[in-house]
Amino acid sequence: MKMAWKEMMKYKTRYLILGSIIFLISFLTLIISGLANGLSFDNASLVKNMPEGTYYMESKAEEQYNFSEISDSQRETIENSHGDAVFMSIQMGELEDEDGQKHGITYVTATDNEFFPDVEKGELILDESIQEDGIEAGDELSTNLMDDSFTVRDFAKQEKFSHSAVAFIHPDDFMNMYQSEKYQLAFTEDEEEDIDEMSAFNQNQFLNTIPSYSAEMLSLNMIIAFLFVISGMLFAIFFYMINVQKLGTYGILKAVGVKTITLLRLMWVQMILITLISLVIAISLSQLITLVLPEEMPYQLALETSAIMAAGFFIIGFIGATLSGVQISKVEPMEAINQGGA
Amino acid sequence: MSLLQIEELEKSFKIGRNEEKILKSVDLELEEGRITALVGTSGSGKSTLLTIAAGLQQSSGGIIKFSDKDLTNMSSSQMRDVRAKEFGFVFQHAHLVPFLSVKDQLNLMIDTAELKWSKKEKQQRIQDILETVDMWKHRDSDPDQLSGGEKQRVAIARAIIHEPKLLFADEPTASLDSKRSVEVMELIRSLSIERNITVLMVTHDEDMLVYADRTVEMKDGKIEK
Ligand SMILES: Nc1ncnc2c1ncn2[C@@H]1O[C@H](COP(=O)(O)OP(=O)(O)OP(=O)(O)O)[C@@H](O)[C@H]1O
Ligand SMILES: [Mg+2]
Repeated sequence: MKMAWKEMMKYKTRYLILGSIIFLISFLTLIISGLANGLSFDNASLVKNMPEGTYYMESKAEEQYNFSEISDSQRETIENSHGDAVFMSIQMGELEDEDGQKHGITYVTATDNEFFPDVEKGELILDESIQEDGIEAGDELSTNLMDDSFTVRDFAKQEKFSHSAVAFIHPDDFMNMYQSEKYQLAFTEDEEEDIDEMSAFNQNQFLNTIPSYSAEMLSLNMIIAFLFVISGMLFAIFFYMINVQKLGTYGILKAVGVKTITLLRLMWVQMILITLISLVIAISLSQLITLVLPEEMPYQLALETSAIMAAGFFIIGFIGATLSGVQISKVEPMEAINQGGA
Repeated sequence: MSLLQIEELEKSFKIGRNEEKILKSVDLELEEGRITALVGTSGSGKSTLLTIAAGLQQSSGGIIKFSDKDLTNMSSSQMRDVRAKEFGFVFQHAHLVPFLSVKDQLNLMIDTAELKWSKKEKQQRIQDILETVDMWKHRDSDPDQLSGGEKQRVAIARAIIHEPKLLFADEPTASLDSKRSVEVMELIRSLSIERNITVLMVTHDEDMLVYADRTVEMKDGKIEK
């Protein structure tokens, strides 16, 4: 322990460089996963902000919610067994502002519920991101699907669907625009259950029915996985290299009779110290970076995710240090001294 | 009584594709408490013999018995234990631990030999030995702040602080001037006498042979009879 510290103090630059590399690699990994998570959250925050539960749509719709129409009898069946059921519909559309500028949005309407804001007929509640387009509360927005125009009443935080801003509207307006008396989807917080001619989805399964979501998630997960694997390998290689570089010193220590476990402990202590410090800085910075990232850049990094990654890095660093330790324990002292050139 | 017995020791190195025999059936016995000087031309295999006898590398054949224990049959951790507790080694080049101060080199050796000395006793012994090799004033220096001769004196102190039974010294005086060489040899001899330490020492310096009880010569991988 004392020896590990003394060595690090003697070769401050070497260990500082190693620490910086570990920091940069883990920082990069954290930032990229923050951006990837942000992107996936941005795709469907409307759904991600809902509690875990079950979504139902017509089986005939073949997992395409906008082809689903829940009939009155089906609605009754669902309501009978799930008193809390919410019925909702989602449609991609657009709104035109007073200057004739068009804005792509997603209309969402639903029966009374605690997840979405209440809206009156003729009113809109929009995702706050649309404010960047210069839309303000009180603005009149029109659509060619309806004669009357909407008044923007308020904005909601993080309500997006398929990357576009959600516009909550009153069911009557929705029925009026899309000429349909029926809702597309039912949502309950209960466990999933078999209902005739209905398909059930949990949150994740439902997200995957959103066009673009599953393809996007696949790419993002791939990016994160590759990044993690490669940075993990770099981690292991760096700890391995720094120990092999010290072969001569380890040879001297072995020659005077220092135990292998003492040498291993030395490597572990150094590895843990460096990784700990680098990861603490990387995690803090990756949390603080939200303060400087522009609003429109979706970024989301849960501490839990960071902790899992940190644990992964620790294990990998440990393996790297241990592997080099095992290798060093096998060479004869004289061989180590000669090869190490110390 | 002999403390170390070397019989038919062989060592080959792979050099490129060829196996080259560096030690060809070496026989050597060290009497307990005696100083044996090993001389011979450069490249005759003196350092190789010394490091194998001290368990720092494996032989290719033969037997090494240390007070009736066969070193060639030992596991590497048993060998390590013998090195830590019973052997002292002065390398041809000092080979100090680069990041430890002079004092800590000795502390490490005391800990490694698992000596149960009190803190005060440790301090006292370290001071004694460093004063003997005239390095006490450099006790807090790191090896890279010392001259070659100074390093060698620390290496000698490290090799004897734990009072080994057997001291191997590979040209301990090579990097010292003649006055220091005499001092170091007197130190080794007085330690050998006081503490009954057996010494095997390589030297090129004819003047140092007076400190040895016996001189053996190596020639071309063999001990000359
Ligand atoms: N690890 C090794 N690999 C290959 N050859 C080696 C190795 N160690 C020593 N040798 C060879 O063995 C021979 C003897 O070397 P050694 O160091 O034992 O000589 P020496 O008698 O101590 O010489 P000197 O007086 O110059 O120190 C040399 O020819 C050397 O090149
Ligand atoms: Mg030599």
